[in-house]
Amino acid sequence: MKLTRRDFTAGLAAGMTAPYLIGSARAQGATIKIGMCAPVTGPAAEAGKYATGGAKLAVEAINKAGGVLGKQIELIIEDDQTTNPGIVLAFSKLAAQPDIVGFLGSIRSTQVHAMAPDVMKLGKPVMFGGTDPNLTKLGNPWLFRFRPNDSYSGRVIADYGVKTLGKKKWAVLHSTDAFGTAGGKALTEALGKLEAPPVLDQGYANQSQDFTPVVLAIKQSGADILGSYFTFENDLGIFARQLRQLGVNIPWVGSPSIVNVTALKLAGPALYGTYGVADYAEDSSEGSKAFGKAYRDAFKVAPDNQSSWPYDAVTVLAAAINKAGSTDPQKIREAIIATKKFPGAEGEYNFDDKGDGLHGYNIVRNDKGNIVFDKHIEFND
Amino acid sequence: MDLALQLLFTGIGIGAVYALVALGFVLIFRATNVVNFAQGEFSMVAAYLMVVFAVDLGWPYWLSFLLSLAGMALLGAIFNLGVYYPLRHRTFLPVIIATIGASILLANSVLAIYGPQPQVLEGWFETPGIQLGPVYLDSQYLLIIAVTILLVAFNYWFFEHTMIGKKLQATSQDKEMASLLGISVSTMIMITFIYSAVLGGLAGILVAPVLFVSIQMGSTIALKAFAATIIGGFGDVTGAIIGGLSLGIIETFGAAYISVPYKDAFAFLVLVLFLVFRPQGIFGERVAEKA
Repeated sequence: MKLTRRDFTAGLAAGMTAPYLIGSARAQGATIKIGMCAPVTGPAAEAGKYATGGAKLAVEAINKAGGVLGKQIELIIEDDQTTNPGIVLAFSKLAAQPDIVGFLGSIRSTQVHAMAPDVMKLGKPVMFGGTDPNLTKLGNPWLFRFRPNDSYSGRVIADYGVKTLGKKKWAVLHSTDAFGTAGGKALTEALGKLEAPPVLDQGYANQSQDFTPVVLAIKQSGADILGSYFTFENDLGIFARQLRQLGVNIPWVGSPSIVNVTALKLAGPALYGTYGVADYAEDSSEGSKAFGKAYRDAFKVAPDNQSSWPYDAVTVLAAAINKAGSTDPQKIREAIIATKKFPGAEGEYNFDDKGDGLHGYNIVRNDKGNIVFDKHIEFND
Repeated sequence: MDLALQLLFTGIGIGAVYALVALGFVLIFRATNVVNFAQGEFSMVAAYLMVVFAVDLGWPYWLSFLLSLAGMALLGAIFNLGVYYPLRHRTFLPVIIATIGASILLANSVLAIYGPQPQVLEGWFETPGIQLGPVYLDSQYLLIIAVTILLVAFNYWFFEHTMIGKKLQATSQDKEMASLLGISVSTMIMITFIYSAVLGGLAGILVAPVLFVSIQMGSTIALKAFAATIIGGFGDVTGAIIGGLSLGIIETFGAAYISVPYKDAFAFLVLVLFLVFRPQGIFGERVAEKA
């Protein structure tokens, strides 16, 4: 047989590209890939460890149960460095891999805001845990939230304080960052609807070293209850101690940070007797209890919302892909939106067309350092 | 009136912390003509050393305190040899950049070793504070104010009445002349770095029970302390103290009577006013000429 130049070139081309073609076909076929942007380094590195732990736990459970569409799931983690530029870069690295079918974003609203335009451009589903209500009002069809948003937390804080504790003179204290401002506004609005407009609406800048002026303002306002949105536990701890030292002992209902492990350690007795809204409360449902046990068994530490939302995000995404019977983004989106009464670790997921999965919050109480589940308040509107 | 008294007390308390860190800035500036931007990180490292000795290892508080200060003295010496000494013949800019680099290295090393979670360090006293009429006096702030007063007195005595203090002053005023007079300039600079690191460390240990121990604690305090030194007059010990105290009082009163979220802005507004109208600060005429 005579080898022509054309045959030689064709053979060479085939020989060179075959390994890539076969490899890529095998890669596409072997696993279903999910990308995750997580703070592996930076100020939230500890939280990042919990978040990736939660996601990995879900992946293991799903793979053990047979995987998705008959394939195993593979989790690809990129470091977002706890910064906005970091998460944009991390997401672009993941988005460049065409075989990733869905993504996990951040628990930080500001970081989700930063990546949102790229999510829109890519057009694939992204699960996130940031609680700024505006995130699901952006008109971005690819964002799905796995924690209740702050319009719910504000309503729950107001509802509990006014109806259960019977207090009407509120002092609202919030950080002046995106999270605190949105949370404080939601709480003020909710109080207005319950005919208990706050007597003091006070913002503070993050990383304050002294809260004396704030405490004195609360004291002077004559408020008989305090509602708060603190972003950083350090600020919360300093404020809590100064509040008690300066003799303010009114009931206090705070956003989720008031019941997290670090805040409890820093503030100690200064937080005894306070209330908090918590999206993850271990005793709130069977799903929460089951996740709590699995997480403790795997990592030997207490679970919290840092690990529960990524767990739910992976679980719901996998169930949606199975239901869609395809990895087509539009079909996955439709399947997520159609998810109703799904028992997760954070609560029961009933997605609305905006991408919000949860519509209520748990109220918990700090009983001498132990967090005790009090009640769950759910909204249907 | 009660409100004003309470604000005055906390203002002086937090201002004393700025003053302690500012003292470290001033001493190094006087000796070397450079600003050490790692001064805040010295406070942070000392607070973490206290956590390691007193909390993790459970050693007695006084022993942990002495060991932490000894650790800071060592760090000051290493810092001098590793950051300042190799660049001592260059202009001030490379040295300043090196101190910024060292501050980033220190913060990230502690982050890598200890993790990002803030830590609790208990105060020196069993009672957190005392109620004196309408004013609550936090015992830790009382201690900080007392230590600041003692240190001011000590500095005065040390620099004016001891031979080594006078040698340090001579070095800071004119290195060449000091060298000609037989003073070992590099030893004097080494002593200055050690003393500044210990001072910064002392501030960090004292303030830790109030602000908790976190990676960011140093940079937040240092920024204010830096402003305090400019207000007081860069290079002047009394200026650093007055600057620190004024800054603490201004921001506390500004927050209470004008706006809480703009608390930090008041400090920097005052700083800008000083830079525009009196760049040499309250006391710093001589050094301004030098700079």
